Amino acid sequence: MHGRPRKAPVPEDEAASAAKAEKLRALQSQVLSNHRHKIYTEEALELSTRLVEINPECYTAWNYRKLAFEHNLTRSDSNPNSVKSILEEELRVVEIALRQNFKSYSAWHHRKWVLSKRHSSIEKELWLLEKFQSADPRNFHAWSYRRFIAALMDRSDVDELEYTQNLIDKNISNYSAWHNRSVLLSNLMKKNVEGFTEKDEVLTKEYELVREALFTDEDDQSGWFYHLWLLDQTVKAKSPLLAVEGVNSSTVNVEYGSNLNQGLVWKPLSTYKSRAAQAWITQLSFPNADLHSLEAYPVEITVGHCQGIISSSGFHYSQSSHFVFTVRVQPVKKELKEGSGVEKISWTDENFYLCEPHFVESNLVAWFHQLCLKNEHEPVANAWQVKIIEEEMKHFCMLSDCKIGKLTLARLLTAYDALMSSGKLVHSQEILGLYIDLMKLDPPHYQYYKNEHSVVLLQQVMSSRESLLSRCFHYRDLTSSSRGYPMCLRLNKLSLSRIGSFAKLLWVQMLDLSHNELQSIEGLEALQLLIHLSLSENKLSSFTALEPLRQLKSLKSLDISYNEIGARSIDTTRYLCSSPLSNSIGNEWEQDRILVDGVSMTNYWEAFFVLKGLNLTQLDVVGNAIADENFTLFLVRVLPTLKWLDGVQLNLF
Amino acid sequence: MDSAESSNQRRATVTQHEQWMVQDQVFQIYDIFANIPTKAQNLMLELQRDSHIEYLNKGLMQLSSSFVVLDANRPWLCYWILHSIALLGESIDYELENNAIDFLKHCQDPNGGYGGGPGQMPHLATTYAAVNSLITLGGRRALSSINREKLYAFLRRMKDSSGAFRMHDAGEIDVRACYTAISVASILNILDDELIEDVGNYILSCQTYEGGIAGEPGSEAHGGYTFCGLAAMILINEANRLDLAGLLDWVVFRQGVECGFQGRTNKLVDGCYSFWQGSVFALLQRLHSVNGKRVAFSDAEGDCATDSTSEGELTDGNSSETDETCHMKQGGHGEMEPLFHSIALQQYIILCSQEQGGGFRDKPGKAKDYYHTCYCLSGLSVCQYSWSKDENSPPLPKAVLGPYSNLLEPVHPLHNVVLKQYHEAHEFFSSQSTS
Repeated sequence: MHGRPRKAPVPEDEAASAAKAEKLRALQSQVLSNHRHKIYTEEALELSTRLVEINPECYTAWNYRKLAFEHNLTRSDSNPNSVKSILEEELRVVEIALRQNFKSYSAWHHRKWVLSKRHSSIEKELWLLEKFQSADPRNFHAWSYRRFIAALMDRSDVDELEYTQNLIDKNISNYSAWHNRSVLLSNLMKKNVEGFTEKDEVLTKEYELVREALFTDEDDQSGWFYHLWLLDQTVKAKSPLLAVEGVNSSTVNVEYGSNLNQGLVWKPLSTYKSRAAQAWITQLSFPNADLHSLEAYPVEITVGHCQGIISSSGFHYSQSSHFVFTVRVQPVKKELKEGSGVEKISWTDENFYLCEPHFVESNLVAWFHQLCLKNEHEPVANAWQVKIIEEEMKHFCMLSDCKIGKLTLARLLTAYDALMSSGKLVHSQEILGLYIDLMKLDPPHYQYYKNEHSVVLLQQVMSSRESLLSRCFHYRDLTSSSRGYPMCLRLNKLSLSRIGSFAKLLWVQMLDLSHNELQSIEGLEALQLLIHLSLSENKLSSFTALEPLRQLKSLKSLDISYNEIGARSIDTTRYLCSSPLSNSIGNEWEQDRILVDGVSMTNYWEAFFVLKGLNLTQLDVVGNAIADENFTLFLVRVLPTLKWLDGVQLNLF
Repeated sequence: MDSAESSNQRRATVTQHEQWMVQDQVFQIYDIFANIPTKAQNLMLELQRDSHIEYLNKGLMQLSSSFVVLDANRPWLCYWILHSIALLGESIDYELENNAIDFLKHCQDPNGGYGGGPGQMPHLATTYAAVNSLITLGGRRALSSINREKLYAFLRRMKDSSGAFRMHDAGEIDVRACYTAISVASILNILDDELIEDVGNYILSCQTYEGGIAGEPGSEAHGGYTFCGLAAMILINEANRLDLAGLLDWVVFRQGVECGFQGRTNKLVDGCYSFWQGSVFALLQRLHSVNGKRVAFSDAEGDCATDSTSEGELTDGNSSETDETCHMKQGGHGEMEPLFHSIALQQYIILCSQEQGGGFRDKPGKAKDYYHTCYCLSGLSVCQYSWSKDENSPPLPKAVLGPYSNLLEPVHPLHNVVLKQYHEAHEFFSSQSTS
């Protein structure tokens, strides 16, 4: 059987097929003519029968039949026998058409239409479906029709579940059956149907079922995807780190001073015009505060007390939780005097000194504890979740010499660590090892694993006290007075291709991400306090990849030197936004395009888009293909606050 | 192959047997390829332009009588053939062009939209095919033959109260209908808030836990619908509402050991998904960020492990053990491998889908047809340009498998029309008012 070549089907005899086509065209024009003249006689109907039996995709003929069907039905409404025969005739025609082409959209749709008119002779449908589904168990029309019929008949989900079980027993590779199983089980658990009220028991049984499939053939994809769904069901509520919408003064209570929620406006930090974002900001005002008293004002934030915050995956955040921190109000330091006062930051290693642990702890670690979300109800994972995941981990260790086994194990370990409320990542080393193996074993998906690896690595760095301490530095430039710089978090040289863990980075004001492999800084917009940022020596290839920077209004110095910006001309997002409606960004540019005269600015559209709203005093772009004299001219015009460009002090006018 | 044989000893399903049959056939081709002299290899990797053009022209002239089932789909046939010809950088002669325009005019309904043939009811899918055909033909006569006001009215009529679109009067509602409606409206510059309203909600409800998008709520994720759903969401500027990270997870693993794409989980490889799945990558690549996951495409030189000068590295007999996923050897440094293996996909299209006598097929053993010819070529073009982000600069030679003369015209990945033709249409229609 292996390797036996198949023969291409013998082409039809050309003359015969030409004659057939001629006949079909004649038939079609007759039917269309009857359609136009509203002729619904038996002979006319018979012609359309012949047409759809030859060509089930002829949707106009099906619509003609719908009209004829209703026409004939109204004429014979009094006689139950003729109603029955009209109905049966119609279903018979569809059945023949489906035998001709059972992937015909029009025929399946027509059958649904007929049955939704009159509920009768529906029992036969399941029988028919079994026939079709055993001929092609993956036909998605048939599956969709099955769900339609089951709903119409009020057939119980339990019975349908059993049907999927039978199909899986026959062929464990039938992913459509697995998929329908996931749909049915979701319904059953949601509706708390008897036998499905205990989620843990249901899921445990499903894990056993799918395990059998996976151990039968580890290369079969069906079980793996179903397993992914099960894992999702087990730990779903534990991943709120998605974009959410619905953050406002009624879903989030903020109590500070004597104020409660007064006039608080929450804004999503999103690079898109979107109502959803991972990070939201609001501003508190203390109008009566004494600027010099150093008084600490407690702020208490409560979320989840009422419905309304919804994640982009549709999950309603409803765990009541709160956190408390204190705010000291200080007078704003006057900006250093114009011009000479602004110092150049040089990101070389010699300028950074490791912070003493007590210093870090007194500041940072304390902040952390304050900002930790405390759930009202003990956040400890349910015992059953832990048990299930542990059980699965045990089993998949055995399959961990195949790719998908490794990937699943990595996902299980990640889920396990997330379940443990302590925040300790017990398994991160093991997970990293698995991703490293995968990168070697499965090169075509290298970048995918690399990204996952980066996220876990960053989590690992941010989660332990020791590793965090080893990455907190003071900035001290010996050539200048250099005082008053915030503590610098150095996440450089980690070969990160992606960043994450933003919730733990919110405090950072000075961040070194240089010498990594970043192609995007998506999510960085959450770091609202950021003043100094180095992205030097990464793989950023366009200014659009820097779009999150637009949201960082405090940013003063930015180092994007030695990236790949401009190496391959511009990456026009406008290219995608062909519709004038979706291209509001373009208008902004049009208005300002005369801003810089004398230099052709069209190539710098993206740079303009990202940099325009920033008040940078220092920018390093050297080592990018885009950086040339014209670009320098452009930058000087677009960034009037700029004092240092590529290490050179700009002339003062 | 090793894995197949060892699994054979366990209980095997029908699906698995079919999968192994296909794998064997594909690997046989790759093995032959690996063991012939370089000269012959170069020949095998060549795109048979002349044969394809001949096959396409033949189709155009006689719309051969064996297309019975397509008689309600004739604008589609026009589109598949015309778009394929345009991808090959050829044009058709004046008379054929006029015939095509006239024919499509006859398919246009007096109340807007295009039917599957003259006198048939207007249908969204054939409207999409007709509009794309006319854009592919280009020129004032073709473009101005589209009645935009009436077409807008047709689109409004097809809009369901849920926000989704139905294919035709009393027709089915699905993601395909949503995409074709939005694509046509966008390219003709008649897209407005009324058409957009709530269509995003419907598409969102079709994204499954797998990450891909299904044809309708409750169904399983499917390559064609995933393209339709994503493209429509991008066109209405709501792509970020989708779980793009999940979508990426799903589509990444649709490229299998045969190097081509499958349409759904555990289905056989099929050349047409070279476009439906391949262009999802192209779209995600241009959406510069994906919910925190950058879609990484290799860019700088030296990243691609296999290039056009190293076909000799393509699989040989003993690489199967270390390299099960993609029957293709990797170079020493894999730091920047793209998420989708564009060279591998080109290999599948050219060596397995291409027929030497012209035309493309689903997989070895199947017969060629115009549908697969269109979508294999479209997928091939997407691959060739997937390494370059800029529409104006030609891809590097190493991005193109086989001789550089294999390079096709670039497509606009949202509408799947040749980019040059898209620009002409865009210019033509943006000078016309929104109704």
